[in-house]
Amino acid sequence: MENNLDNPLISQIGYVTGGGLEANLQVRLNVQPQSVLEGAFVVIDSNNWRFYGLVTDLRLTAIDEQYATQINAQRFSVHLAEMLNQQTLYTNLAVMPVLMMETGPAIDSPEYAAWRQTHTDEQKPITVKTVPSHHAPVKLADRADIATIFGEENNQNVFRVGSTREQGHPVCLDLDKLVQRSSGIFGTTGSGKSFLARMILAGLINNDKASTLIFDMHNEYGIDTTSSDTGVGVAGLKNKFSSKVQLVGLGAETNIGGQRPDFTLEISHNDISSEDVLQLSQALNLKETTAATLDALESEFRDNWFTEFMNMKVGAMVENEEGKLEPAPDSVAAWARRAGVHTGAAEGLRSKLTRLFNRPYLKNSPASNGLKDIINALQAGRHVVLSFGKYQSDLDYLLVTNLITRKIRDAWEKATNDFNSSKTKEPRPLVVVVEEAHKLLNREMASQTIFSTIAREMRKYYVTLLIIDQRPSQIYDEVMSQLGTRISGSLGDEDDINAVLSGLPGRGGLRGMLAKLQPSEEVLMLGWGVPMPIPIRSRRYDKQFWIDLFGEDRQPLNMSQASRLMGFDNDSD
Amino acid sequence: MSNILKSIPIGKLLRAENSQFVAGCRVKELETPALGSLVKVRLEDNSEIYGLITHILINDDSLVRQLVSGVSIPSEYTADNRYNRNLPVEIHVLTVGFTQNRLISHRLPPRPPLSLDHLFLCEDDDIRAFTAASDQGYLRHILRMQDQPVEELLAAHLAQAKTLHEEVGDFAWYGSACQKLITLLRDDYPRLTMVLDVLTELENV
Repeated sequence: MENNLDNPLISQIGYVTGGGLEANLQVRLNVQPQSVLEGAFVVIDSNNWRFYGLVTDLRLTAIDEQYATQINAQRFSVHLAEMLNQQTLYTNLAVMPVLMMETGPAIDSPEYAAWRQTHTDEQKPITVKTVPSHHAPVKLADRADIATIFGEENNQNVFRVGSTREQGHPVCLDLDKLVQRSSGIFGTTGSGKSFLARMILAGLINNDKASTLIFDMHNEYGIDTTSSDTGVGVAGLKNKFSSKVQLVGLGAETNIGGQRPDFTLEISHNDISSEDVLQLSQALNLKETTAATLDALESEFRDNWFTEFMNMKVGAMVENEEGKLEPAPDSVAAWARRAGVHTGAAEGLRSKLTRLFNRPYLKNSPASNGLKDIINALQAGRHVVLSFGKYQSDLDYLLVTNLITRKIRDAWEKATNDFNSSKTKEPRPLVVVVEEAHKLLNREMASQTIFSTIAREMRKYYVTLLIIDQRPSQIYDEVMSQLGTRISGSLGDEDDINAVLSGLPGRGGLRGMLAKLQPSEEVLMLGWGVPMPIPIRSRRYDKQFWIDLFGEDRQPLNMSQASRLMGFDNDSD
Repeated sequence: MSNILKSIPIGKLLRAENSQFVAGCRVKELETPALGSLVKVRLEDNSEIYGLITHILINDDSLVRQLVSGVSIPSEYTADNRYNRNLPVEIHVLTVGFTQNRLISHRLPPRPPLSLDHLFLCEDDDIRAFTAASDQGYLRHILRMQDQPVEELLAAHLAQAKTLHEEVGDFAWYGSACQKLITLLRDDYPRLTMVLDVLTELENV
């Protein structure tokens, strides 16, 4: 800002000529159009107010179309043509005003003291409610303006996610605000979505205000990997954050990219409820009768239903006293008759559930209670990366994410209720990170899975979602509209673009911006969690990132390094 | 040399109004004034009214008509008719400004000059001072003219003034005059392009 005061002409790019709140503001550009990009963050000073807006369109225009239709330099001498073009051809910016802030008279003006007396509080940007005057000067936002709106990077909650595209000023995201509501990271394959996700997760873990549970379907967040695009090594969260992050492998024998997990997750049959199975209706192609059958099973066997059902035989017959064949007592049919369930339906379900019975990570009595360990770790303020290892089918993903999340909901609801009634410890906020979210949150599934409930109402129970997806249009609208912060890389599909913008004001202008983002370099931040939409050049997830985040180029201490540092010279890690 | 010439009166006023006036001169005196030249009339109160020659008119009389219809005209007749004619050559001048107490204004003078006031050609310094004053606002008077080849007049005037300014190292004057013309005429596409055509032609000479 200081620089601008010294020389306001340098940064001025144009002046307001018309427009309004409904339509965008019209700004006549007095610099070359190439010096302003769509999505540029501009400030407009007008009568003690500063307006903050976003360039949504640039349009070439002329005071008379005839000046534009002929090449003036061919008809007139070069310098005449130059002068003529300068005076008759120009560029109009459409600027979407978003925020405004009272700045008061200039500090050295006589009115300032009086103004200061009536405005003792620090001024804050508010949603735009009026327009700047005609001919108000328009400038590209400088570093200070951006810091006023997006905050000053502090390596804690105010986390730098990128920089403005024109001048490279840092743009930050308030991580505390990010986790207050569910949020989403979107982008097509190759848009840099998973790098962005890694970076934001690193920021969240570093900020450490909320625990994160990452469902790592493709084993890319926990361990060090190699980028498929560039062939460069990519740091995993486990190795950078050490004991703060627990690497959990699904199944007893899982090793993740050659690395041993901190502990493994095997799910006890007793933990599987009928609800979990119903959520797989689509994946297992279950019939409508399933619910009735499962109800009967659960009411008879309680928590043991899964084991009991698994042990029933299909089609087993015995000869009765009269020499007739009838279902064996341990058969599905015999149970169905006893329980008053349609035999065919029960047998059909039993055979369809075979796929589940065969899952090696579902155990009757697992060696350890991994589920509880995960919840404990999360409640203790750790972060969990659950790697699916070799179990990468949709069925595994749906079953395990739903089951764990259901348990988590129960645990956090209980903790919140305890906190509300007896003022015990406030529950630790939790962010559940879901990749390929459309598999869990599509229109058909959303009503059944736990995730839509979390997106809608778990905020009051301290649990929010971070959705990572490449097909936002496949995600149920009601969930999409609940997302507070949305960060999107380039999206090609019109439906996906509309989905990301659903429920936001000023969609028209943002649509074009989303479609034109540079893959793997630029992202658009928008939604409740960011003060105003802004396209940015995203921060690189590289060595420098970690140096900046940790303050120095270090691996976080592991136990042996820490003990050496403290003077214990052992190597027993 | 030229300055001395220009300080000589080139004619006397025949009639005048606020925005234009007409002077008469003898054919002999006609060697110096030219289309687009800046001229001035000095009033009694020492203020000066500036104008631009827009139009030079040589009227016929009955003798000329007779001579023209004759078969052959002896050369001494022609000379006599030209230099001793009864009717003056009419010089039409567009008022473009005035000075009062040596201050140049590009507005119209409060009163027109009077008949028989002397008309002078401006000296070079005079032209430079007048044309550079007030952001070249006097050009608007020229552009307002109707029924006259404005482009040609502009070209004649600018060519002359450009040379004078460049003689003293002022190369920016012409550019800013062009800027001014574009500003004044940009809402009139056909007219502006015609002016620019003429200027382009002028620059290419």
